[in-house]
Amino acid sequence: MLETIAFQGLIGLALAMYLWLISAGLTIIFGVLRIVNFAHGSLFMLGAYLAFTLYGQVGLPFGVAILLSLLGVGALGLVMERGFLRHLYGVDEAYQLLLTFGFILVLDDAVKLIWGGVFRIPPMPAFLDGAWPVFGRPFPVYNAFVLGVGVLTAGALWLLFERTWWGRIVRATAADREMAGALGVRVPRVFTGVFAFGAMLAALGGALGTPVRVVAPGIGAEMIIQAFVITVLGGLGNLRGAFVASLIVGVLSAYGTLFFPVFELFFIFVIMAVVLLVRPQGLFAR
Amino acid sequence: MKARFALCGLVLLVAVGLLAPPAGAQCQLGVPVIKLGVQGVSSGTHADYGNQINMGATLAVEEINAAGGILGCRLETRFMDEELKPATAVKNVRYLVNEWGAHFLYGIDSSGSAMAVGPVLPELKRIHFFTHAATQRLTEELVAEKKIREIVRVSVPVYQDGILAALVFKDRKDVKRWATIGADYEYGYVAWNLFKDTLRKHRPDVEFVAAAWAPFRTSDFSSHIAAVMAQKPDAIFSTPWAGEAVTLIRQALLQGVFDQIQLWWQAMGGSVDVLEGLAHDVKQDRFKGKLWATARYIHNWPDTPENRAFVERFQKRWNRLPNYSAETTYSAILITKAAVEKARSLETDRVLAALEGMEIKTPAGVRTFRSVDHQFIYTVPAGRVVMDPRYPIPVLGHLVVVPAKDYYRHPPFTPIAATK
Repeated sequence: MLETIAFQGLIGLALAMYLWLISAGLTIIFGVLRIVNFAHGSLFMLGAYLAFTLYGQVGLPFGVAILLSLLGVGALGLVMERGFLRHLYGVDEAYQLLLTFGFILVLDDAVKLIWGGVFRIPPMPAFLDGAWPVFGRPFPVYNAFVLGVGVLTAGALWLLFERTWWGRIVRATAADREMAGALGVRVPRVFTGVFAFGAMLAALGGALGTPVRVVAPGIGAEMIIQAFVITVLGGLGNLRGAFVASLIVGVLSAYGTLFFPVFELFFIFVIMAVVLLVRPQGLFAR
Repeated sequence: MKARFALCGLVLLVAVGLLAPPAGAQCQLGVPVIKLGVQGVSSGTHADYGNQINMGATLAVEEINAAGGILGCRLETRFMDEELKPATAVKNVRYLVNEWGAHFLYGIDSSGSAMAVGPVLPELKRIHFFTHAATQRLTEELVAEKKIREIVRVSVPVYQDGILAALVFKDRKDVKRWATIGADYEYGYVAWNLFKDTLRKHRPDVEFVAAAWAPFRTSDFSSHIAAVMAQKPDAIFSTPWAGEAVTLIRQALLQGVFDQIQLWWQAMGGSVDVLEGLAHDVKQDRFKGKLWATARYIHNWPDTPENRAFVERFQKRWNRLPNYSAETTYSAILITKAAVEKARSLETDRVLAALEGMEIKTPAGVRTFRSVDHQFIYTVPAGRVVMDPRYPIPVLGHLVVVPAKDYYRHPPFTPIAATK
């Protein structure tokens, strides 16, 4: 029994790290730009499609395919911010929501035109295939890999925001954009950079998932809900909060599946309801 | 001046002559065109089912129109996305009938959507040919018990997923411990309950050791697989379908499930999109022959001239193999044609009367109409997922054919729990 619990916990941790990857970008963008980017799920989807094409069809190594899809989606994020969002910072927030919602529709139809309506899945890369014996059962190498990428990303983001010059600029802009601007920070440039960076994080989640989850038009819609729940749980815009919330949701839902399979449908919402009752501003909000 | 008038008149006459249908093709039912309202899911990872419904309907209509229509009346279709949401499906049928003017309705993938649409049909006064939604309650409860006569189902219900599976595996003495990774909605519950009920009767020694449920749009099944495998089952009964089936099976491979179990029943795994998605793993024999499945029609059975010709025409038109939702919708329109020609009317009562006793040749074989629950009866085999040199994608092989009458439920229908 103990081994079952330990194994399920490990599965939950890998799940949590995946949730963390898809919500990190969303919360960073909100923290700095103060917009909820509904199109985050679509960027996730696009990252998955690009990785599928580059790895599954062109035949590039999986790692290279991931890197290139990050760059591709990052470039798209740049265009989205520069060409569209930038013009809406001054007006009511509802317009920004509408615009990002519009992106969802456009991108969903675009992938349908390019890749067709049928789902796609590439073969498993050889180095991620197979399993290691853990607690007497086979634990997939792939899940361990996701766990590792999640932890590394968390570490890298912490270093980036807390220990680098760029991170300090971004934090200053997030805290008070007018003051930062007055002190010579080129705020619009920071916004563009942060949005593109958030887009790349979305793409990382999508690209990483391609060998084990099918990619299809509309998969972003499901992702954005989970990412949004985690972002709200952790406190909108709070990176550490998103990390902890991912851990809570991932591990608890894995145990829920094991011990209370009947309630599967609304685990994540029960967790959200409880947290919001106790702390309406989210776990780590200032 | 007169000459000019005459010339204009001549031009007009020629124009009218060109526009008018050729003699003999006048619609004998008094409508400009017969409108067929069609819906299925065409978004997300289940999208291929709705698209196949649309392809099947379009092919049927094109062929019928090319051959002169139904009693000289041309057919026209309109397709809508039901999004697997009951509210959307109901809104769609209302729109299709009240605004667009549909004479007949087709399709619907989700059991939940079908159960919501059924009760609306008497008010709309339209027959709905269901071509995928599988809960037995649609025909057993809404038709046989509540007498909603406008419901007709052309596709085989969960008898295929649950009862057939139990009959196919009842003699596997090495398989005693069953677990399910189920679709967390009506279809998944009734399929598992039917399976358990049937298998228990033949095999008092089997145990049902675990159940994990995955809602629509689940993309990470690792915790479901781990939870179920903790109970060391001999076999898995699995009902997520479409892209979710492929995602689930790929993730099960990673956890080494196929080294630990004797067999895996992927109820609708004989579906073309699922077989396409599993192709490279089947080619590498990663399932070790343990993956079994069925569908509501498979393109490689029956081996009849009708079926071969249908598959050929379908591939020529769409450059893909027909999935079951394409065949069932195609056949539903063939059935409509036969019934309307017999009734010589579009009225619900007359068309329903014409369905009585119908036995009709369709690509899936002969379908027989059962009046008590408006269910068409036909046989679809189960089989092992294998490669076949004749096809680019895996197919069901080592087919086990159980006659439909042995695995369909028969009235009086005892209720099956639609709960976990």
